[in-house]
Amino acid sequence: MSHPPSDANPRARTVSTDSAAPSTAPSTAPSTGLAALLRDLGPQLRRGAPASERPDGGGRRLPTGIPDLDALLGGGFPPGQLGEVAGPPSSGRTSVALALLARTTAAGEVVAMVDGTDGFDPSSAEAAGVVLDRVLWVRAPGLREALRSTERLLEARGFALVVLDLAIADLRVAPAAWPRLARAAAGTGAALVLLSARRQAGIHAGLAVELRSTRAHFTGTPSLLEGLEIEAVLARHRSAPAQRSASVRLRASQAA
Amino acid sequence: MSASPTRGDAGDGSRRDPGARTRCACLRVPDLPLVAELRARPDLAGRPVAVASGPGPRAELVALSAEASRLGVRLPSSVAHARSVCPELRVCIASPALERAARDALLDVAHSFSPRAALVPRASGAYAGEGAVWIDASGVTRLFGSEAGFAGAIEARGEKLGLPGRVSVASTRSLALIAARAGAGVIAPGSERAFAAPLAVDVLDPPDRLAESFTRFGVRTLGDLLALPRRALSRRLGAGVLALIAEVDDRDPAPPLPVADDGPLVEAIDLEHPAARLEPLVFVLQGLLSRLLERLEMRHRACGDLALALELEGGGRDARRVGVAAPTLDLRGLVRLVAQALESRPPEGPVEGASLATQGCPLPSDQLDLFRPAGPAPAALGPVLAELEALCGAGQIGTPEVADDPHPDSFGMGRFQPGRARPPAEPRSALGHLLALRSLRPPVRAEVRLSRGRPGWIRSAIANGEVVGAAGPWRSTGRWWSEEQRFAYDSYDVQTSDGTVARLRLDHIRKTWHIDAVYD
Repeated sequence: MSHPPSDANPRARTVSTDSAAPSTAPSTAPSTGLAALLRDLGPQLRRGAPASERPDGGGRRLPTGIPDLDALLGGGFPPGQLGEVAGPPSSGRTSVALALLARTTAAGEVVAMVDGTDGFDPSSAEAAGVVLDRVLWVRAPGLREALRSTERLLEARGFALVVLDLAIADLRVAPAAWPRLARAAAGTGAALVLLSARRQAGIHAGLAVELRSTRAHFTGTPSLLEGLEIEAVLARHRSAPAQRSASVRLRASQAA
Repeated sequence: MSASPTRGDAGDGSRRDPGARTRCACLRVPDLPLVAELRARPDLAGRPVAVASGPGPRAELVALSAEASRLGVRLPSSVAHARSVCPELRVCIASPALERAARDALLDVAHSFSPRAALVPRASGAYAGEGAVWIDASGVTRLFGSEAGFAGAIEARGEKLGLPGRVSVASTRSLALIAARAGAGVIAPGSERAFAAPLAVDVLDPPDRLAESFTRFGVRTLGDLLALPRRALSRRLGAGVLALIAEVDDRDPAPPLPVADDGPLVEAIDLEHPAARLEPLVFVLQGLLSRLLERLEMRHRACGDLALALELEGGGRDARRVGVAAPTLDLRGLVRLVAQALESRPPEGPVEGASLATQGCPLPSDQLDLFRPAGPAPAALGPVLAELEALCGAGQIGTPEVADDPHPDSFGMGRFQPGRARPPAEPRSALGHLLALRSLRPPVRAEVRLSRGRPGWIRSAIANGEVVGAAGPWRSTGRWWSEEQRFAYDSYDVQTSDGTVARLRLDHIRKTWHIDAVYD
């Protein structure tokens, strides 16, 4: 298929990257040049709109970069859905969230961290590989502000991922808030990930994973915290069997 | 060359550039009190409206809409008399705040065409209700094709901003104003005297004493006045008459028009009935914001922080700052911000007047990348950030930054500008499984029992029980130059029997234990 020379829409051009063939007609010389350009740029071009603009995420997932966990989640957290990461302190919730933020920001996406517990540590995030320039950090002073901020960010198009952190304070949210937030996420295609001490969103979560720590490792002389072993249990998944689990070992930064 | 005022080129039909000599335009709005009211209350447009000098039935009317005139209302007249003539007449009380804002808006219209502009000083007598502004029109034919085109563009912009008026162009400020009062358009250079001659002397707005003398002498037109010997005139009528004659002179003795300073924009309103509830007050403020944004748009600026001042019943005043995290022109977002600010701290009494002021900021813009996800649009992001800041407090939103400070609790927060972020990097797979720290702000106090000089048992709101694993200590010290801020900590990584892995620290100065972070 060849494009008419007047086609100036770069997105339209990307659609036919695979099938763009040089034409022999003299009037299609620009198309030939275009085809050559597309051939050169091919791997850099994306198909269609960004994932954050597609309500279903186009079957895409936002991976954490932790292979065992991504395999358990079916590739990662689904855009346009509410995902839950629940567990007690030191169960690895923050590590999973930072790994997810690191992968997403490294892909060039813009993300938001709604910090309902004021626990976000920029140094730790940077060490985990998060591109801090691409993170909007909202230090919400209370639960009400955290929920309203989350909803507003979900309504604003362009954020691929919004993490709502209610973990350390074990904040309980009124059940009516979850369908509202899930609907807002579905409307814009942003992935909403909730960090909490225990599962709260129920059926409104498209995916829920429960974490628990199994063992901390201290080694060497003098002794160093080497890492933490956690177990992740898939408590809910809309399109995959639940109650599967995976073990993940998280390394402390000194050991990296 | 035609002596009559025309809407053509320089009057002689040629396209020559009159920029070689100074030219001045004048935008004149005849009934500013009425226009200011209609600008604030667009729903009154097309209805019989009058503006009264004060409250009560005996107050004098100072301005009338065309519809009111058509229904028989005339000036001068009292409110009671006008209502007897036209029962459906809507009477507004003249608002100095609204008029001031309308004059400022008039100046903004002028500044959107030329940096050199100035408000015409308030006139008295028959022209007391007019609002006018001078605009430097030298050399405008290069941009607008003709001076008539320039005048038309100013009129159109004024009309868009709710300031319908007439624009005249002449060689001097006074002549431009006279031409605007006479309803003329472009006065060609050299034809000023011929244009002015048939005009009534009243167009100069002479003081009452001089006006009486003119009537007594039979001087009816400017031509009559200019024909009289000046020395004899000044001997009989004083030096003031020479100043009037000088206004018709085509050589402008006044200094050039001043260059615009980028001062704050103010929109204000006096309420006829005090607003006791927030809902009607927000509605009024929405109108102010809307007009403020129109003016900002004309300056090619966006709205920054807002200064909101409320005049309370009984003489009180409530002044506050409404923070706008990112410059924006989004009316809905700004209304939400102002409403939130009022909800969080409602005014202490009914509101009689309100004003909103802002300093224009450069419009947000970003250079997007073809190969990267677009992220939030700058224009849409501004209102969201502003709203979040209003919700969470100033300084609570932004981009996290690693602080250049050895204190374990330190961190930074910068302005969120995703468009200026570094290009995306390759995922750092080697660090993918990193154990993260979750900060506790403020650190949680802990009770610690030592065992052989190291933490052996902990009780706190976060971690409790016997210490089953520990690493450390690591000492950090700093800020030794300040008695209040200096610190010296010994930090341990500990795991308690309840499974929590935390960072525990001993404050050597205050001799206290705290948990400042949890490995999570």
